[in-house]
Amino acid sequence: MTDPLTLAQAVLRGETRAAARLITLIERDAAGLGPALDMLHRRGGGARVIGVTGPPGAGKSTLVDAMIRDWRDQGRRVAVLAVDPSSPFGGGAVLGDRVRMQRHATDPAVFVRSMSARGSTGGLARAAAAALAVLEALGVDIVLVETVGVGQTEVEVAALCPCVLLLQTSAGGDMVQAIKAGIMEVGSVLVVGKPTLGDADRTARQLREAVELNPRSAGGWRPPVVIADALTGRGMEDLRTSIDARFDWLAAHPEIADAEAAGRALAMARTAALAALAHDLRMLGADDPALADLAARVAARQANPAELRDRLIAAIALRFRTGPSSSP
Amino acid sequence: MTAPIRCLLGMLGTDVHSKGIRTLAALLRERGVEVIYLGEHNTIPGMVAAIAQEDPDVVGLSFSSGGYVDYTAQLIGAMRAEGLGDIPVMLGGGIHPDDHAALTNAGVAALFGPGTTTDQVMDYLAGLRR
Repeated sequence: MTDPLTLAQAVLRGETRAAARLITLIERDAAGLGPALDMLHRRGGGARVIGVTGPPGAGKSTLVDAMIRDWRDQGRRVAVLAVDPSSPFGGGAVLGDRVRMQRHATDPAVFVRSMSARGSTGGLARAAAAALAVLEALGVDIVLVETVGVGQTEVEVAALCPCVLLLQTSAGGDMVQAIKAGIMEVGSVLVVGKPTLGDADRTARQLREAVELNPRSAGGWRPPVVIADALTGRGMEDLRTSIDARFDWLAAHPEIADAEAAGRALAMARTAALAALAHDLRMLGADDPALADLAARVAARQANPAELRDRLIAAIALRFRTGPSSSP
Repeated sequence: MTAPIRCLLGMLGTDVHSKGIRTLAALLRERGVEVIYLGEHNTIPGMVAAIAQEDPDVVGLSFSSGGYVDYTAQLIGAMRAEGLGDIPVMLGGGIHPDDHAALTNAGVAALFGPGTTTDQVMDYLAGLRR
């Protein structure tokens, strides 16, 4: 059973093994994925998709583990896509998120899949969007997407998830950090974790003030700030209530929700297009004597770097007119 | 460019000597392998469920205490019962040569005892492509 379309049909029946296999094929850029992913995309949309992001070691996986437990107590079925970074040197990875969630492994209503970022720098992996389509079609109630540990600018998760939890620890930065651009803008719910590490109340207060100062809070969704201790479970119910409130708000504001969803679709398509272009660009030039010749002339200061750039763009444009790369 | 090898690494039972498996995880990462790290104290059903969900190219078990013949046979039996018998299982750690035959009979695909080099493990993994 390795035909993508057969696997996709099994995914729609809720078969997790088929989902596992299909995600492997997606990661390998296997042939024949197009129709399968098209079908799954059209049939998806039933699950609440929630992103979890934050700096390395903030406690994302441990928080996900606690959320799984909380949702399972409510009888909800959960799938998790957990992305960890790949080495910029050898390309390898240690995917260590699952070890925090392994107690749910034998629960048939919980599916966890680890994924390496494989060089992507936006906090997710190139295969994440298609893998998410698989998990959404599995018939679960909730899909969690855990990013790699992020810095200030890896906001790709916001292009995938209508609700993003931004986790930081109680030792988080001061007011200036809280009003900076980038990662601080993508949280639908701001979570202060590891409350015993520092002054959780102070961190939460500063985050609330930053939310108040954000012009986008006026008339729009106002991200709640929740102090949650994944180890003791304190605050986890608050967190669940806040997530529910976000989805209730989206349901009550269908125009905004639809516009945001379209914006995410466009952002994802842009990211995918850039990745496809970058992939093809890297392939260009190695076996093209004319390009090599021009590069040598640029290096010898007999030609302009802009000319070489434009030659690359022209070659890519030609390539996409005659048949683009078929990556999912 | 072929996709990296995905290798699920874990320990079974009460064995707490996780230095070896963490070292191996780092060495394999260095060589471009994607290690799905399960750590110690896994149960047979828990590890089988993880294998089913992660769909790795290979499973690696590390043992630094006794009982590994039984544990390994149980795991491979449970994997076969779940239709996961096509995924090879390799073993590393304090494996006694006297047990090699029993482990091979149980279905272990590769044995890496004391003195194994990273190159030997990588040579084995490179030959695995499904």
